[in-house]
Amino acid sequence: MSKFFDAIACKGLPARDIRNSNIVNMWALAWVTTLALTAFLSRYEWYSSTFPTMIGFVVHSGIGLAMFFAYKRFLRELDEMERKIQLDALASSVGMAVIGFSAYSILAKAGYVPELEPSYLIVLIALTYIAGVIIGRIRYQ
Amino acid sequence: MKNRLKILRAERDWTQAQLAHELEVSRQTINAIEKGKFDPSLPLAFKVSRLFKMPIEEIFQDDA
Repeated sequence: MSKFFDAIACKGLPARDIRNSNIVNMWALAWVTTLALTAFLSRYEWYSSTFPTMIGFVVHSGIGLAMFFAYKRFLRELDEMERKIQLDALASSVGMAVIGFSAYSILAKAGYVPELEPSYLIVLIALTYIAGVIIGRIRYQ
Repeated sequence: MKNRLKILRAERDWTQAQLAHELEVSRQTINAIEKGKFDPSLPLAFKVSRLFKMPIEEIFQDDA
């Protein structure tokens, strides 16, 4: 069990990697917050007009781009074994998303399950990515 | 790939954390290399070679 908790805590990473990781986490938190905020505001009629929608689109996309560049920098400067773990996890999450999305769409077209929402895809990618990182860290312990 | 990292580190009485600090990698990376679970990149292998002042082939050996 301690192996599992060590894998989550990413103990022993150089300070540079922890700092870069915290920057990515802050951008990710801001990105999720703007997504939740726009979903919440879309319930109000005034928000459906062009100007507030465009503001929401630009802010959410801008923060998303900042998160993307922060993650690229994090990967570039990352400890090399941790980078391999992260890239393996990314490959798994993309693979699972493509396979899961296509399989789900067959069921959705047949009417067995509701139509796929983008949020399902984001959750699937995030969960498989987190699982991939934890499994990778345990494998190399 | 086999390596003599653990022996060389022990000869100098260094901890994994100290070696990791010298090579600017995580302690987990040193541990995985010593156990043969992870093969270092060429730049890291050269860094190890410079640190121990030994040719790479005396530190890392191919399994084959």
